[in-house]
This record gives sequence, C-alpha cells and structure tokens, in this order.
Amino acid sequence: MAETSETKPSASAPGGDAGGEEDKRDERMLECNICLDTARDAVVSMCGHLFCWPCLHQWLETRPSRQVCPVCKAAISRDKVIPLYGRGNTKQEDPRNKVPPRPAGQRTEPENNSGFPGFSFGEGFHMSFGIGAFPFGVFTSTFNFGDPRPSAAPRGTAQYEEEQFLSKIFLWVAILFVLWLIFA
Amino acid sequence: MANIAAKRIKREIIEVVKGEEGVLKLELVNNAWTDLLGEIAGPPDTPYEGGLFKLEIKIPETYPFNPPKVRFITKVWHPNVSSVTGAICLDILKDQWAAALTLRTVLLSIQALLASAEPNDPQDAVVARQYIENEPLFELTARHWTNVYANGPTVVWEFNQKVQTLLEMGVDEHNARVALSTYNWDVEGATEQIFS
Repeated sequence: MAETSETKPSASAPGGDAGGEEDKRDERMLECNICLDTARDAVVSMCGHLFCWPCLHQWLETRPSRQVCPVCKAAISRDKVIPLYGRGNTKQEDPRNKVPPRPAGQRTEPENNSGFPGFSFGEGFHMSFGIGAFPFGVFTSTFNFGDPRPSAAPRGTAQYEEEQFLSKIFLWVAILFVLWLIFA
Repeated sequence: MANIAAKRIKREIIEVVKGEEGVLKLELVNNAWTDLLGEIAGPPDTPYEGGLFKLEIKIPETYPFNPPKVRFITKVWHPNVSSVTGAICLDILKDQWAAALTLRTVLLSIQALLASAEPNDPQDAVVARQYIENEPLFELTARHWTNVYANGPTVVWEFNQKVQTLLEMGVDEHNARVALSTYNWDVEGATEQIFS
C-alpha cells in the first residue's frame, strides 16, 4: 500500500527543490490551524495557537457551550485571543464587511502616575466646587452629569463608562467633604 | 463556508499522500470532495495485523467545524465497531471533535482504536461481551474476520469449516459468520438462532 499511496507529488519532491521545501516549512508555521491556509486576520490564543479570526469565530459559534482551543483543547474565549498585526496589515481589505470584527488589541497605558492621585485632585475639587458657592456647585455638576462632555464622548465605550464612573465617585467625595465641613 | 471544506480536503489528501505513514490511504470518490475512501492497515501485534480496512468518509458542509462521518466498509470484529453497519464509536468523531484535527489524524486514531479496544463503551454489545468474557476467542474471531474480509494472513480452518457447514444448509455466508461469531462458534446455537 505504501507504493500505491506515493504518487506523483512525493516522487518529484526529492529530486526537485530543496530550498523550496525549506520555504514551505516556514510558510506552514503561519498556517491557520482550522483552514490550513495562511492565516488572514490572524489571532493567537493564550495557548499559542494561530488561527484566522473568521475561522476561530466560526468554531466558537459552532459550539458555544464548549469553547476549547481546536488544537490543544485548552479553554479559549473571544476575549482571550490576541490579534496579530504585521506590517502592511492595514492596507489589506477590511474583513469586517464579512465577519464580526476580530477583537481589538488591548492597550493598557503604562502606569507612571502610581496610586490614587489623592490630594492634588482633592484641591482641584476644592477650587471648582468652592465652599461659598456650595449649593450651586453641587447642582450644576449634578445637572451636567447626564450629558457627555464633548471631549470624552466619542471615545471607546469602555473608557467612556470608566470616566462616567470616576466622575460619579468624585462627585460623592465632594459632597461628603462639604457635609463634613458643615457638620464638623 | 463549503469553500473552506473543499480547500481543506484538497490539502488533507496531499498531507496523507506525502505523509510518512505508508499505512494510510485517502482518495476522492466520484471526484466530489464530500465523499472519500480511506484505508488503514491493521496495527501490528493485534488480530487485525496484515489486514487492510476500507473506510467510508463523508464530509459535512460544515467541515471542519463539525466532524466527518466515518464508518468501516470492510467488516470488522471489534467492540467499538458495529459488526453490522461498520459504525465507529470514537469520541473525536462525536463530541470531542476539534477543528484542528484532520483526516490523517482521524485515520490514525481509528487505527489506534483497533489496537486498543474500549469494551466498556461498546458500539457492538455482542462483540464487547465476548471480548470481556472470552478474550482468546474474541481474538481468534477478529483474526478470522480480518482474514476473510480484510485479506489478513491468518486462516482459521476450524471457523471456515463451521461457516461451510451452515452454507450447506443454505445460509448466506456473512449471516452464517455473524451467527457463529455471536454464539462463540457453537454451530447448534447459531443454527437455532438462524432458523428460529
């Protein structure tokens, strides 16, 4: 049977291109583990396996109850894959027309302002809320609260929510501070 | 998405043909990528040694997101393969399928299944019972089936003669073999079952 299964392709390989074989090996390193083609819109799982995002997305859709890596069966999820951006990636056609966009890269800002920016910020509030204008200050900030500030609005939704949350906290800190000033 | 399936099948056939294992064979049936014919060699040091087993492989539209449907065409006497339909009980062909598995790995897994039966998770209860209760007889029966259906080297004369006995009573050869295998090669029991 070994003889019958070895047809033309393997017979021509040894005599032909040894360098080409090497190149092919390199190419295979970048093949999607699902479609076995060169990965496009590549993402990599936490366990290190490479896929096309459309392929992986369909795999996750196929079995929503059991989301495992198609290669090693480690737990996997949409949020835990990392997109790979090579050079010239942006010039390619936009895949989002066909499939859901692959998850965005998570970009964490470097933490150079360590810890909670406590006292200096508190002074800021001092100034803007002011003890004298106390009731108006609270009212204006309360009423302002609902509408998004023009600079913050168009950002990514996660950041926007974070800002809303922060401003809420600061509002409460200010109120408590004012109350403390009155009753103490 | 049928596109992915067709493309993958082409690559997978090349992979099997180029592969180092001289024990696998994979080819298209009717030039349609949905139907393939696989062939595996019986693993050494098993009752299936020396046999060649043909498999029917049907590729679903949703391949590789869903597993291929694989069954034995060649008749096999094995706890995890139906002696009637050739259906295979193998987890990776069901819920343990993963999209990175290929027809090559599927064929290798089936080959491995031949080498290590799982009688506690049987596809064929009759075979599994024989495997558990009388393993030497199971092995001889499996060897006999390999000889008759898969061109295996070991001729079991005793079993051939018993099949011949039933043949002379006008019983179809395969039915006779199934009945005898089921009744642990007891001719009377097999005859009773056939004519009852």
